[in-house]
Amino acid sequence: MARFHDLEVTDIQKTIRDAVVVTLKPVNGAAEAFDFTQGQYLTFRQDFDGDELRRSYSICAGKDDGILQVGIKRVDGGTFSTWANEDLKIGDTVQAMPPMGGFFTALDAGNEKNYLGFAGGSGITPVLSILKTTLAAEPNSTFTLVYANKGVNTIMFREELEDLKNTYMGRFNVIHILETDAQEIDLFTGLVTEDKCAQLFATGWIDIGSVDTAFICGPEPMMLGIAAALRTGGLTDAQIKFELFASSQPGRAKRKAVSKNAASGANQASATITLDGSTQAIEMPKDTTILDAALDNKMDAPFACKAGVCSTCRCRVLEGEVEMVSNHALEDYEVEKGYVLSCQSYPVTDNVVVDFDQ
Amino acid sequence: MAEDMSIESYLAAGGVLTNPSNVPPRYRAELMKLMTTFVDSELAGAAGFADIINAGPGIKERIAAAKIVLEKTDNADRVLKIMGEFGVDGNRYANHHPWTARLERDADIGASRTEQDMRLAVFNYPLAGWADAVVMNLLMGRAVAVQMAEFSMVSYQPLAEAFRAIAPIEARHAELAEEGLQKLLETEDKATLQASVDYWWPRVAASFGSATSAKAESLKGMGLRKTANADLKARWGAETKAVLENLGMTAG
Repeated sequence: MARFHDLEVTDIQKTIRDAVVVTLKPVNGAAEAFDFTQGQYLTFRQDFDGDELRRSYSICAGKDDGILQVGIKRVDGGTFSTWANEDLKIGDTVQAMPPMGGFFTALDAGNEKNYLGFAGGSGITPVLSILKTTLAAEPNSTFTLVYANKGVNTIMFREELEDLKNTYMGRFNVIHILETDAQEIDLFTGLVTEDKCAQLFATGWIDIGSVDTAFICGPEPMMLGIAAALRTGGLTDAQIKFELFASSQPGRAKRKAVSKNAASGANQASATITLDGSTQAIEMPKDTTILDAALDNKMDAPFACKAGVCSTCRCRVLEGEVEMVSNHALEDYEVEKGYVLSCQSYPVTDNVVVDFDQ
Repeated sequence: MAEDMSIESYLAAGGVLTNPSNVPPRYRAELMKLMTTFVDSELAGAAGFADIINAGPGIKERIAAAKIVLEKTDNADRVLKIMGEFGVDGNRYANHHPWTARLERDADIGASRTEQDMRLAVFNYPLAGWADAVVMNLLMGRAVAVQMAEFSMVSYQPLAEAFRAIAPIEARHAELAEEGLQKLLETEDKATLQASVDYWWPRVAASFGSATSAKAESLKGMGLRKTANADLKARWGAETKAVLENLGMTAG
């Protein structure tokens, strides 16, 4: 199971008004675990007023940059991204799981391939990592980037991309498509839709017939349109690599509305929790889930989604009764046998005995 | 830029998801089930085959059986790694169940699963010796080929890619079984081999699931299925019948 490691923030740079590039250094000998592949992402966790949030951000550094960097664009109302943009400081320690994801293809110095990348807004982060790494590792390959943004002032990494064009003259090309700012060429204004792609292919800006692999990272409608155009252009599904980070990440368990002051007497329960072979007896409020109570008592209880869906937090109720407010993962027969999702389960009786090992 | 599309309509339009943070609750549950079904079936299949290695009549056969055990375990590991990104402890998972456990050969469980794992029902039946194992591997290998073609198109890209890599390996297992059966037909009693075909045929057929799955439509909407169970079963039946008839045998 992937574990969270401490990382030190060694640098923070604003790339545009509402996005930062954060440089991280693994501490406590975790450097090896963070040896990433281009295009992968990190999942961070951070506590906000007692609630843990987990968010994933793509690595924007290339393999040869020798550093670990992620780009974080502020999303309206986004707790984590706002915190990263406004409160995070150099010298802070953050926690992340080792790099994950398969948004890449194997590189080989002998390859003579033509890669095509599409990025929408902050979707540039993994694509930047891929194109930097690929251009350095495969001296005979080319990379064309179609980069969609609202306007000139929202283009992340604009200068870095210009520098890369000079470094890899003739092998790297960027086509900026801007939604609102007019450009010299009409084709480069508007949204990157299926039609727009078809026109880019038809007018010769992109030689779709020569493309070996395409990478797409952006919002959902853009991904659908581009993928449709690529398929029409003759690419197979195996040649199209996607990365999607939707802003609507899975919800969280809703706590029952119980006054904090009432967390005593009738609201208290005794729970006996067995995990990894050892048993602990704890007192817990009835408006806390079994999982949170275990975590609050330093038990390393398994969980992932905290949304009642992945069943990673499954445990079995041996005595007493709990109320499972949501269940998207357990089958009826499992529930009949007393299995519950601990992240969704609140004690009903004054005594409950649960086991994570069964 | 229009960014207000829901994940559900994105999926219904053929969109793909790429990492755990995208995945809506119901989708996640069905995806986890799909993955556990594959992993449990591969681990149970490999465990059952491991016991049969030494029954191979010659060194070539034993090498083939050992290779199948190795590769099925490896294929389980590939998918287990994807489950790991959802928080599953792969090491614990791989050891949480006795994968060699089997029911009686004449147990009547239809397409139902046992209570402890998600393996396809067919993997709950014991193999009755080398020739029986070869026949089972041929029929099930052909079924896996049909299922891999289907699941190589699932909307969760990391899993689709894993299945695309796994498909040719599993296809080779069915080829090895076909070669094995051809060889057995030179020495063994044909009626015994036909009896194995007759035993495994309905059990493998049942692994395609029921023709009237209430979930089929919602799975389709999520991009986790494209083809109906009945159509997959029909494709398997036709392909496998041809292979058997080519060997001078009949389908069950």
